[in-house]
Amino acid sequence: MSEAARMSVAQPAPLLSVRNLRTWFHTFGGVVKAVDGVSFDVAPGEILGLVGESGGGKSMVGFSIMGLIDPPGRIEAGEIVFEGEDLARLDEARMRRVRGKRVAMIFQDPMTALNPLYTIGNQLEEMLKLHTDLPSARRRERAIEMLREVGIPQPESRLDNYPHQFSGGMRQRVVIAISMIARPRLLIADEPTTALDVTIQAQLLRLMKHQVTQNAASLILITHDLAAVSQMADRIVVLYCGRIVEKGRAADVIERPRHHYTRGLLDSIPHHDKAQARLRQIPGSVPDIRKLPPGCAFAPRCPAAQDICRRVEPELVETATGQAAACHFPIEATR
Amino acid sequence: MAPLLAVRDLRQRFDVSGSIFDRLRIRNGRITAPRRIVHAVNGVSFEIARGEVLGLVGESGCGKSTLAKTVIKLHEPTGGAIALDGEDITQHDFHRMRPIRKKMQMIFQDPYASLNPRQRVRDIVMEPYLENAAGPVPDVAERALALLAKVGLGREHADRYPHQFSGGQRQRIGIARALSVGPDLIIADEPVSALDVSIQAQILNLMMDLKDEFGFSYLFITHDLSVVRHISDRIGVMYLGFMVETGPKDAIFENPLHPYTQALLAAAPVLGTPLPPAADAIKGEVPSALNLPTGCPFRTRCPLAFDRCAVERPELKPVAGGHSVACHLHDGGIAAA
Repeated sequence: MSEAARMSVAQPAPLLSVRNLRTWFHTFGGVVKAVDGVSFDVAPGEILGLVGESGGGKSMVGFSIMGLIDPPGRIEAGEIVFEGEDLARLDEARMRRVRGKRVAMIFQDPMTALNPLYTIGNQLEEMLKLHTDLPSARRRERAIEMLREVGIPQPESRLDNYPHQFSGGMRQRVVIAISMIARPRLLIADEPTTALDVTIQAQLLRLMKHQVTQNAASLILITHDLAAVSQMADRIVVLYCGRIVEKGRAADVIERPRHHYTRGLLDSIPHHDKAQARLRQIPGSVPDIRKLPPGCAFAPRCPAAQDICRRVEPELVETATGQAAACHFPIEATR
Repeated sequence: MAPLLAVRDLRQRFDVSGSIFDRLRIRNGRITAPRRIVHAVNGVSFEIARGEVLGLVGESGCGKSTLAKTVIKLHEPTGGAIALDGEDITQHDFHRMRPIRKKMQMIFQDPYASLNPRQRVRDIVMEPYLENAAGPVPDVAERALALLAKVGLGREHADRYPHQFSGGQRQRIGIARALSVGPDLIIADEPVSALDVSIQAQILNLMMDLKDEFGFSYLFITHDLSVVRHISDRIGVMYLGFMVETGPKDAIFENPLHPYTQALLAAAPVLGTPLPPAADAIKGEVPSALNLPTGCPFRTRCPLAFDRCAVERPELKPVAGGHSVACHLHDGGIAAA
């Protein structure tokens, strides 16, 4: 506890504070602990990268914050304190006033986020109607302004187009415009550029960063792409099987990972200095989340695992620089 | 020595007009029925030597997958020539292609869609071999297990169905199936892009190990520049159905000549580097393959385009050391304009 107290003095009050979040799914095949005891903070204006492979639980953290967990899923325990209010305890009616206005989310596939039956002008203005007291005459102007900001050419005429009339990259720009138009304090982007080409990806990452900075908002970027996250994030949280295995400043985590899983992920990315040589691979695959091994979930794949790893689940231990790893035998800085 | 695969001026077009009723338009008071043609591959030439890995990169819609499927004759080419091991296979019909498939196999992107869900793994991996076998094969079971062992799967996996495997394991099954006939060339269409990064490394290592063991060639298609740099000997860069630059891997990465290649390399995120400034980025998006730009296909997005680019289509011309580029800038272009 004294550790936590010291932290709160050292840093400004976080915009979002997730504490010991557990989001479980009760299925016939057993309990899926998609998120199991996850804690992290997002400071005002900060970009936090949430990374991990599929099944790591990173999307479920985003869905939990947005209150989008449906049965058989449930937030079993934990707090999601956003601007002093615990979102995990809000009812649906009050959550609706948070969603879109104070916290917005962008998904991987823009076509599922847009309503195909309404023009994008309708969809932009709907956000303003729901979440602001802007008079209807001003709404259209603001929608045009917003489309221009996200780089859509001829916004006056594009406003009356339907989603299918846009390309994939342009659709994601529209989604960013809709999500940012009510000026939320926090944007959650779940694999926002994964479906897009690299040249478009770079454009959109730049756009998101600009939008977030300009509105003094915070961003949680959920992705499997470590390279993209290293370019965007101030801090990184690495998830494996629903638990945090490492978190810290982006540069520290990328350059001096302390957890063997983080290091394995980084080594798996082909790097041109070591071209044609074999990649260092993580053996095996992600275990079935319903049948996690006792102790550390990564132990069966870990090069440094010893007996204790298979018995005792390691705690997140923080170093002086604020980097934390959940490992009995963390990698020391001499690399 | 003759190249293993030689592709000359390959073209692939698809008519997507639909029925006459879909096509009817009234334009300037007259009824017309224009055709809608997708120009997917527009005169692409390349060669692959024995034991060589040619990486084909480009963004979605650039025609790289269509090119692969045309080379292996899943699509009939609209024009051009394909020669495998000196034999012209351009006009081969389905029947005459069958023996060719022993020499050329394909691995697909989606390990979920490319395996028959009703077949056991041992039957999946042996199917191409049995299809091509001259007579009865007495040792089918042993051969299947040996193939599975080559890709890191065990005896216990042989009688399972595809749904019982993870994505990475399914891709291993797809690789074993391709290996079964002992091919000279494997066409791999985005074989790792559906996989998690840790599994990606396992599959890339496996593919390289098998190549070293059996000495076949790869036509390796991917949009991931770090993967292509890792695995290729030579690289071809495609844009809108055109090959805009080819060359040895190091030449492409260290000295990219085409403005599109330069933009592609600049846009790709690199671990631990800052987001590149907007000034380096190319603007806009890929034009429609239904309606190709005149002249250079890239001129609509190219920061260096000049008059000649709009009127004359640049040809792929050698510059130095096996490095070729299709760009007027490298053709004494500015002076000529």
